[in-house]
Amino acid sequence: MPSPAPVLVLDRVTKRFAGHTAVDDLSLSVPAGVIYGLLGPNGAGKTTTIRMIMDILGPDAGVLRLFGEPGGGRRHSERIGYLPEERGLYRKMRVLDVLVFLGEMKGMDRRRARQRAGDWLARLGLAEWRLRRVDELSKGMQQKVQFISTVLHDPDLVILDEPFSGLDPVNTQVMKDVVLDLHGRGKTILFSTHIMEQAEKLCEQLCIIARGRKLVDGALSDIKRTHGGHHLVIGFDGSTGSAAQVFADKSLVSRVDNYRQYAELELATGADPQRILAGLVSSGARLSRFELQEPSLHKIFIDLVGPETTGGGALRE
Amino acid sequence: MSRIGAVIRREFVERVRRKSFWVMAMLGPVFFAAVFLAPILLSQAGGVKRLVVVDRTTTAFGAAVAARLDSTRGFIVVRRIAGAPGVEDSLTGEVGARRIEGFLLVSDSLLEAGTAEYRASNVSSLEDIELLRETLRRLTENARLERAGVDPGVVARAQLRVSLRTNKITRGRTTGESAGQSFALAYFMMVTLYIALLLYGVQVMGSVIDEKASRIVEVLVSSVRPFQLLFGKVLGVGAVSLLQFLIWGVAGRVLLGRRAALMSHMTGRGQDIGQVFQVPHLSIATACVFVTFFLGGFFLYSAMFAAVAAMSSTEQEARQSQAPVTVLIMIAFFSSFATLANPESALSVTLSLVPFTAPIATPARWAAGNLTWIEVVSSFVLLVVGTVAVTWIAARIYRVGILMTGKRPNIRELVRWVRAA
Repeated sequence: MPSPAPVLVLDRVTKRFAGHTAVDDLSLSVPAGVIYGLLGPNGAGKTTTIRMIMDILGPDAGVLRLFGEPGGGRRHSERIGYLPEERGLYRKMRVLDVLVFLGEMKGMDRRRARQRAGDWLARLGLAEWRLRRVDELSKGMQQKVQFISTVLHDPDLVILDEPFSGLDPVNTQVMKDVVLDLHGRGKTILFSTHIMEQAEKLCEQLCIIARGRKLVDGALSDIKRTHGGHHLVIGFDGSTGSAAQVFADKSLVSRVDNYRQYAELELATGADPQRILAGLVSSGARLSRFELQEPSLHKIFIDLVGPETTGGGALRE
Repeated sequence: MSRIGAVIRREFVERVRRKSFWVMAMLGPVFFAAVFLAPILLSQAGGVKRLVVVDRTTTAFGAAVAARLDSTRGFIVVRRIAGAPGVEDSLTGEVGARRIEGFLLVSDSLLEAGTAEYRASNVSSLEDIELLRETLRRLTENARLERAGVDPGVVARAQLRVSLRTNKITRGRTTGESAGQSFALAYFMMVTLYIALLLYGVQVMGSVIDEKASRIVEVLVSSVRPFQLLFGKVLGVGAVSLLQFLIWGVAGRVLLGRRAALMSHMTGRGQDIGQVFQVPHLSIATACVFVTFFLGGFFLYSAMFAAVAAMSSTEQEARQSQAPVTVLIMIAFFSSFATLANPESALSVTLSLVPFTAPIATPARWAAGNLTWIEVVSSFVLLVVGTVAVTWIAARIYRVGILMTGKRPNIRELVRWVRAA
């Protein structure tokens, strides 16, 4: 895939807080027009990274480039849409007024902001709520209003911090539709998440970080190819025979998750899956499924990050 | 910059739209009218006293007392009766039935020993009692002098009342302003400044905490610098306060213009009451000093309130932490009373040079005393210097604090926030 000029570049960016380094020597590059995932466990430094991109925090070392210019996002704020992880609106203001104000903060003039806010509210089914106060809306409706505020000014780069957290299924779908629609119109989307299933469905490119450091980045397909290893999924139909003996052969299998009627194997380097099949059949196992598989992003993530960092992490500032 | 403009407009429009703004707009004049009218109305509160004079004198003196009292403002002598034994009991019954408010027992001992007795349902209105005593004293004095052979004409001339007119000299010119008026003006300005600084400082605090608690501040500071956001916020709330003053000023003007009619309506009396109500003369220069020092103080204190809000995570927490700022404003207010009593004392001069007290003390000194422009300007320059310094520190606390949640910072952390580049 030819990669166009990057919209966002982080070059050896570091951010320290009292007592710990939240982002450590992080470099990444987001090409124009892609959906880019910033993945990591809680406390990995995703939010801090995004806050540096948005100019909310300044890096202690390293350089940020946005749209080819050095520096953070504030000077480009009319081209960037930002949905923070912690959401909220002015509760006492009218829905339309909030949107117009946030549009103005992104450099729109009032009339255009008002018109586009009206269009978006109609599109997401909130037209009759436009003159109501924000705190009269349900939580789901407030989330929709917040999406609108993120994309109201038709930004070229949309940055979403954990966009799916706390959304109901309906709004999750709305959010995905909005993201895909923006992508279809050539916009660049950067989003952070710790939920790998979503990332796997949406991202073309990604970067996995843990404890502030980059573990891997690049195109999803490349990462799967280089980091996945070979995976084999086996389903048994009743009898497992002496499958455990076959799985124990270290020259064939480097790792196994055996659930008795179902097993996931990671093949040893250079191992031939056909030998495992032959071994299983001759051991008397009855197979319902034998499938060579790409590893899930989830698995790559767990393997890279290690189980010890995924659970903890209350390091967020 | 149009984005700061949007911040200013949002603060202004959202506040002016609220009911609480208009409640304050209406309560203001009511409150100030109450401050001035209360003493007058309170003294009128008892209304006219209906009395019976029990005359036990053997001379015509009892009749003279009754006639004089009846013509005294505030008293009506319903009748004068002879002092038959037991008359006190029936009169006490009449007081109980509220047909009269009281009765005065007068005998020869009033002239001889200067004693009389007043029994009434209410003997705690010092003003009424003083008026009664004064009336009796004058009558007795006259009667005694006449009995000693002094010409009544001489007595009348000797009793000429002294009326001391006070006239304030301001900046080398006689202003035609009385002591009462300049005191009233200074007092009025102090109360207004105190209330406005608290009211609008707390509003800045509320606005900061609102944006912090809802986390919307994160979106805002990705578009404008934290200092610009704070600046726009303070200007917006400041504009609301100026509009509030304008409304109060216009309403006050209208009320003052109709005060005679208003007073006679409220008290059922003629316009003589209106003269008791001293209207301070509010010159353009005084209004300028007032507004200038209000704005200086408002910037100073709202920066501090903003810093308090940035340090807190919830509104309750902010309200608990605001005490140091609130106490500073209270110190400024209460210490400024010293400037009313003696505008030229060392304490008064100090108060108007310290930035934290100057916003209230200097306008009070200006109204009560004889400040030169040089003194006003030097006070203002120090206020500006102090405001810039405090705002610099507060803005740094604000910038870091608005993104922090959880534990409130201790002093060492605050110092680190301020130092962070």
